[in-house]
Amino acid sequence: MKPTGILFFPAFDWAISPTHPEREERLLYTRDQIFEEGIMDMPQIREYQPGLATFKDIARVHFCVPDIESQITEAHLVSAGSALRMADAVVTGEVKNGFAIIRPPGHHSMTVVHGNRGFCNINNEAIMVEYLRHKYGLKRIAIVDTDVHHGDGTQEIFWDDPDVLFISFHQDGRTLYPGSGFMDENGGPMAYGTTINIPLSPRTTDEGILFILDNLVMPLLEEFKPDLVVNSAGQDNHYSDPLANMCFTAQGYARLNQRLKPDIAVLEGGYSVESALPYINMGLIMAMAGIDFSNLKEPDYSPNKFKEPAGNREALQRIVDTQLRVFREREEVIARTRAKSDRPFRMELRNIFYDTDYIHEQQRVEVRLCPTCAGFRTIVSSARHPSGREYTVGCVSIPFRACTHCREEGQAAYQTLQRSNNQLVYLQNKIDDDYRVTDTRTQQEIKL
Amino acid sequence: MLIGIDVGGTFTDGVLFDDGRILAAVKKPTQTDNLQESLLAVLDELLAAAHGTDINRVVLSTTLVTNLLATGQGEPTALFMVPGYGLPHRAYDLTANIYFLQGAVDFRGRIIEKIDTNQLFVALQDVQHKGIKRIAVACKFSNRNQSLEQQIRDEIMKIDPEMQVTISAEVSGKLNFPRRAATTYFTAMTMPEWKRFANRIEQALEARNLDAEIHILKADGGTMPLAASLSNPCETIFSGPAASTMGATALSRDRLNSVVVDIGGTTTDISLLISGEPLYASKGARIDKHFTHINAFAVRSIALGGDSVIRCRDNSIRVGPMRIGAAACFGGDEPTVTDVFNVYHELKVGDWNRSRELLTTLAESSQMSLQSLCFFVVETVMERLKRSISDMFTEWENEPAYKVWEVVHRRKFQLDRIIGIGAAAHAIVPILAAEIGVPGFVHHYAPVANALGAAVVRPTLALQLHVDTASNLYTVDSGGLTGTLPDPRKFQLTDAKVLAISCLEEVSRARGIDKYTVNASFFMEEQFNMIRGWDRVGKIFEVGIQVAPGFIEEYQGVSE
Repeated sequence: MKPTGILFFPAFDWAISPTHPEREERLLYTRDQIFEEGIMDMPQIREYQPGLATFKDIARVHFCVPDIESQITEAHLVSAGSALRMADAVVTGEVKNGFAIIRPPGHHSMTVVHGNRGFCNINNEAIMVEYLRHKYGLKRIAIVDTDVHHGDGTQEIFWDDPDVLFISFHQDGRTLYPGSGFMDENGGPMAYGTTINIPLSPRTTDEGILFILDNLVMPLLEEFKPDLVVNSAGQDNHYSDPLANMCFTAQGYARLNQRLKPDIAVLEGGYSVESALPYINMGLIMAMAGIDFSNLKEPDYSPNKFKEPAGNREALQRIVDTQLRVFREREEVIARTRAKSDRPFRMELRNIFYDTDYIHEQQRVEVRLCPTCAGFRTIVSSARHPSGREYTVGCVSIPFRACTHCREEGQAAYQTLQRSNNQLVYLQNKIDDDYRVTDTRTQQEIKL
Repeated sequence: MLIGIDVGGTFTDGVLFDDGRILAAVKKPTQTDNLQESLLAVLDELLAAAHGTDINRVVLSTTLVTNLLATGQGEPTALFMVPGYGLPHRAYDLTANIYFLQGAVDFRGRIIEKIDTNQLFVALQDVQHKGIKRIAVACKFSNRNQSLEQQIRDEIMKIDPEMQVTISAEVSGKLNFPRRAATTYFTAMTMPEWKRFANRIEQALEARNLDAEIHILKADGGTMPLAASLSNPCETIFSGPAASTMGATALSRDRLNSVVVDIGGTTTDISLLISGEPLYASKGARIDKHFTHINAFAVRSIALGGDSVIRCRDNSIRVGPMRIGAAACFGGDEPTVTDVFNVYHELKVGDWNRSRELLTTLAESSQMSLQSLCFFVVETVMERLKRSISDMFTEWENEPAYKVWEVVHRRKFQLDRIIGIGAAAHAIVPILAAEIGVPGFVHHYAPVANALGAAVVRPTLALQLHVDTASNLYTVDSGGLTGTLPDPRKFQLTDAKVLAISCLEEVSRARGIDKYTVNASFFMEEQFNMIRGWDRVGKIFEVGIQVAPGFIEEYQGVSE
């Protein structure tokens, strides 16, 4: 039996600010617990060394304004790079599955990056998914976001991508940051149904989340048949988390992963650093490695501590019915959209708020409604940075499995933008793995 | 004058060293059933060579504990484990005599579950019933709070004052409960036999009117006084490879990246010097498949030595792994690896005609030319050595890192040199080095580098201090010291370092090595703010201080 890969990178020398939830102390007690347990010495576990992501790995997903250097620290390169290393070990078959216990986190980061949103600068899972598709030619990937917050960054990045199934369950957006992730957010017109949101009412317990897992998440995965399942593994559904209001336990997390059987789990949020994280991380490792976790519990836990809120089962059943229908009707809906669409592009205006850095970003997004592929995207984005500088940038993204038409038209769009008055113009050509930035004033182009 | 003696598996080596020179070197076969005899025979010859001149220090490296553990001859010992919550109990399989007790401590040292004394008494009765007289006690997170372990010991002693109880907090304070339990268990198991051995050695030295400091070599390349070794017998395991590696360091004395290849009769041990400092095994010494908290060098042993016999079986040439006797050129009956190198590279060591003769006979019987037989053996030896060396590099490069700085500044191992030691190094190492393309270094003291290493190394001590200002508690590994702070709210990293130094001094005094604390240096300084809500409620400090492996002041290198 192959071992489970563990990559533990607690970044003991990195924090957003000294008292921020995302600080050095975050994985300190997790370190204490997993080292004291000695679980890394067991034959079922193989420990991996962190790696460094390259700028190209980041450019495959993000448009960093004004450049990658100013948006990230070395810690981000190590965190993302560690996810890539874990992914390599899983895909090449060195290990049966892998868990990257890394920080800083990433699932709130969107395609365009002006600053830090929800403690995230760059999206570790998205960078990993694009890396895997590029390097190993994987086609269909499912991301199950088990963080208590809606994974709005990951959702936005794969919104128009029918090959990535994004499932997020989270505390209802009406009661928690980032205030999104509602039932009707189902993906772009050509990728309808491969974004599935499951808003849960506060105080939902293990019982409720496992009900959703068994009755919705698992059937979706079975029908989608992904090459790889990623758990975007937040740990803040825990009853002791200071930033959320759910009632999930370490046992619940372990059982979730035992049933979900993710190929790769990547740590996201979770800020109950002392009462939850050490136990949840142990539970996840044990579940993924197939080690009996029945002897694991939080010191203050007792079996009858929490009761599922009244009426929750009925509400969850409605979510299951609706979202299964959305997913199963997706091809039909996309075909209908294609048939009745008289315009070649879908245009959308968006406002995005960066809570950590207090930035308001405006976006105009255009996606080509392509009859054969996901369609190329053009984003024009402007925001005033904390430095006081205002940026307007134009970005073109050509998808991974773009048709010849989208590939050529995307490149043409980039050339047109180069003559625009946006300060910076980006090309993200995933099909040729070609990433460029032009400074329109100097007309200098940098190729990554 | 200094004496170093290394009791190895095949031979016991000893040197008498003074003022940069080895005045006498003795090599005798080891009597595995009487190590003390082997040791004293070598000692007596060295003393005779000293002609009555004062001996300041004797350092012994012995395989006694290694042998005891390898052959399962330690005393029957029960293990009382307090694992609390986490891994299932069946993850712990150290011995059939494990008893799991209720009780739990968390990572902050808080007691979350108490001991059930009735359960403890039932376990104790069973142990007594089996006639077991020693108990090792290990509690998860006892390195943060040892009171449960102490309570268990007290309760046992109340009922059975004859019972020998060893608690894990006093053996090791590092994180990793299974390793701590294993170390404690092996310590309890070997303590009486080691004590008897130490006493006999002490008496033997007294009988010889030897008024010298007696030290025992440890797996980490340092020494400890004989008296201090009584409670830490396990630290003496794997001291043989440590003696060799320190011997290589003593002969090279620079900051290069080297591979140390110690080619003995039966085995070859490979270790690494990174910028001149020996590399440690990241998971501690391994005993009987169990990792421990015993600090040991990372050593790779392969069953291939200068005396490995060359035979022909099923029409193919086999290199080792057995040792039948000495090489043919040194009077052995069968050709060995040394003979092949002797002939192939015309080294002309010993009776080299005899090397030729025996190998020619072997070549004829296997229908090969002498040339191709030798070529095949040399290639096989080189291949195996090179593979082991490159495996070691990879292992070192793949060590985990937990800080951004460590990841960004990681370097690849750039090999500068190969140091050969051991009896057969002269024949093999220069060729190995040439093949790898780096300089080779084989000092003329290389055959006795192990005993020289033992003679000149200083005591070592590594200590880790964990301070939690919120719960106002500090704990120290090793030594089991613990206490509270006078003013936890004002406690800073500088205070933690001062505290670490005073703990080091206290532990050093107890071990009788306090004059060496001037050589101490910090190897870890970490501090964490503990934030609850948005306020700082305390700090956690981890400070590591050590007297690293090195040499006593008297040793200023060897004169050429």
